[in-house]
Amino acid sequence: MQRAIESVGISTIIIAALPPVVRQQGSPRAVAPHVPMGANAGEPHNVEMQTAIVKAALIAITEMDSPGIIKSLPYEYNAKV
Amino acid sequence: MKLTTTNHLKSEIYMPITPKPVWTPLEKPLSECKVGFASACGAHLKVQKPFATAGDSSWREIPKTVTPEELMVTHGGYDNSDVNRDINCMFPYQRLIELENEGFIKEFADINVGFMGGGGIEEEFKNVTGPAIAKIMKEQNCDIVVLTAG
Repeated sequence: MQRAIESVGISTIIIAALPPVVRQQGSPRAVAPHVPMGANAGEPHNVEMQTAIVKAALIAITEMDSPGIIKSLPYEYNAKV
Repeated sequence: MKLTTTNHLKSEIYMPITPKPVWTPLEKPLSECKVGFASACGAHLKVQKPFATAGDSSWREIPKTVTPEELMVTHGGYDNSDVNRDINCMFPYQRLIELENEGFIKEFADINVGFMGGGGIEEEFKNVTGPAIAKIMKEQNCDIVVLTAG
């Protein structure tokens, strides 16, 4: 999906919980906060964390200068199961 | 050590090959960019048809004007409990509206997209779903698309 959008001339970034999958699939740009699948953009109702993750993803687009980079983000959330 | 013992021997184990890179450089500052959002989390409006959890390559257009109460997810491939508490965990559209309001980005797209990743017919995703969602974003003149998946 990301590749399809990137290939029509739009810069894309994916916020991923599973960076190895994203790498294998050939993602052009990715950020990876320390979150479980299902909370990629951060803890439920934690507006501060969600904003920081979305902002960091946008800023990463301006910083990444070649395809295939996955940047770890310093935000962590562990779901209580 | 010689690694190849028999020429042209094909592995019985399917090994997906990472495709060739695709790349569109960003030419503008973020404050001048229109940003769209798409997610493989299975988000849709409650009034829209839910995804088939065993595999579904269709997509749903989600206007940015909806309230969180009008949204839900249908996805059989991950624990939905966080996203049921707060749709922004996977579909952070309210955060993108705030970033538009504070001028961090120029504009958040009016129409964003939910689809169901992690299943379905790969060829259909590649040849139909991907290009269709790309077209929705292109027609809105998005400079950037943020995704959540994987």
